[in-house]
Amino acid sequence: MSHIHIPDGVLPVWLWLGGWIISAGLVWFASSRSRGADVRRKVPLVGIISALVLVSMSSEIVPIAYHINLTVVAGVLLGPQLAIVSAFVVQVVLALLGHGGVTVIGLNTLMTMTEMLLGWALFRGLVRLLGRTRVRTASGIATVVTLVVTTTLLVGVIAVSGVTGATARETGALDPQNLTFASPFSSGIVGVGLFSGGEPATAPAVGLRRFAAIVYTLGPIGWLIEALVTAAILGYVARVRPSLIFEGPLAPTERVLPGDEHGVH
Amino acid sequence: MDIAVLDRSAVGGNSHLHRAAPRSKLLAFALVLASIVVSTNLFVVLALLFVLLAVVAAERLPARSMLPLAAYPAVFAAVFAFASAPDALAAALIVAKAVTAALAAVTLMFTTPYPQVFAAVQRVTPGLVGDALLMTYRAIFILADKLADLTRAIRLRAGIAGSHPIRSAKATTRALGGLLLYSVDLAQREYDVLVLRGYSGRLKVAEHPSRSPAADRVLVAGALALLGVATVWRTCWTSLIDYSWMPLALALLGLGATFLFRGRNR
Repeated sequence: MSHIHIPDGVLPVWLWLGGWIISAGLVWFASSRSRGADVRRKVPLVGIISALVLVSMSSEIVPIAYHINLTVVAGVLLGPQLAIVSAFVVQVVLALLGHGGVTVIGLNTLMTMTEMLLGWALFRGLVRLLGRTRVRTASGIATVVTLVVTTTLLVGVIAVSGVTGATARETGALDPQNLTFASPFSSGIVGVGLFSGGEPATAPAVGLRRFAAIVYTLGPIGWLIEALVTAAILGYVARVRPSLIFEGPLAPTERVLPGDEHGVH
Repeated sequence: MDIAVLDRSAVGGNSHLHRAAPRSKLLAFALVLASIVVSTNLFVVLALLFVLLAVVAAERLPARSMLPLAAYPAVFAAVFAFASAPDALAAALIVAKAVTAALAAVTLMFTTPYPQVFAAVQRVTPGLVGDALLMTYRAIFILADKLADLTRAIRLRAGIAGSHPIRSAKATTRALGGLLLYSVDLAQREYDVLVLRGYSGRLKVAEHPSRSPAADRVLVAGALALLGVATVWRTCWTSLIDYSWMPLALALLGLGATFLFRGRNR
């Protein structure tokens, strides 16, 4: 659940603005700590791994209509500081392509960031615990746990926002008279008689329960697919290019010239 | 998502919107977005959507490529609406907001070359973020092409078939694994090229000046008018609620008139 698919003007202002402020602070913190030639060398890597995440989102597993995210893979490859920057970049580009709202970039960045950071930390911990030969198991477990946590975060965001069945109309607008984010919509367009509305809304808990039920029912299918894909990719990389995973993103890489793979001059 | 079409339109287009300054377009985009955010009236949001559609039609932008991109978030918004909205009205409002905001973003990107959009973002973000944004966008094209090639190669070898989901999943995963290694090598090559060209930790993008100041003024004034209507309907809803159909009717008339004039001028 790398991003919340909630459009602009649905979540309350305080929530999406808070998301923007926190994520901007974290991005600034990560950027200010990532200075120097080594990090400069990794800027193209951040760009390209972010692009890979975006491209993988457009690649469906046939025949199940599910788009993978590769956020855990990105977290493992980039490490914590660069992953924060990558999460923000991914969400900005997604929003500009119309996939995800601009106002929710902050919250989406926090979701993706959590996925990348938690995935990275769990993967590292599990590899240390299980050994380097169990990369697939470690990445699979790390992915499932990460996705469970971020899906729960999504439900938490909805619960905190109060955007449920009863309050979905009171979204995204602030009342200039009292600044309580109240909405005149309770008797707004309903007053025209459209869709025979105007009846009292259902209790908020019902909407949240329904939302959580749907997310937790469909979620495990996605978690499983993402875990299998992540395990396969990281297992493949561990076999073919282990330095990418085990030495971290800022480890100095030895350049090997073509034809000089064995150090013969 | 066919973003190659997007880039071709942004760079090669010659509409009034293409000639406007990127700064004006970003300001207009922000104002339209603010209109969507403050609106809780379905008719007003739909009016905004039809105004944007009229702009797309009047400027002869590639609607066939733009509309699927703009409609894409509707699928996810519909799931959210189905999960949480109590009735059709609230659900329609959520979906309408998603599509309208997406259409505004897509219109911006189809009429503005990406370095110009990110140049504005670069000014308010740390150097690392601005550079990564530019490189990400450029790399999407390269990686999307590479993934398409890899998928085609696997498909030709009958590696991806709807009747064999496990084999398909394995093939897709192998393609992504190969793409990942290709990406890492590409990043290294990109850095080498950048260093050769004098990269010192900041990609600088010069902002294009406006080719049509009149278009700038009309664009920003139009966006301000939309925000004005949305805000008035939001704050004076008790007086205006009975007239909610009016913005929608006007926007529909505008869309109809656009198609009529477009047909005559062909």
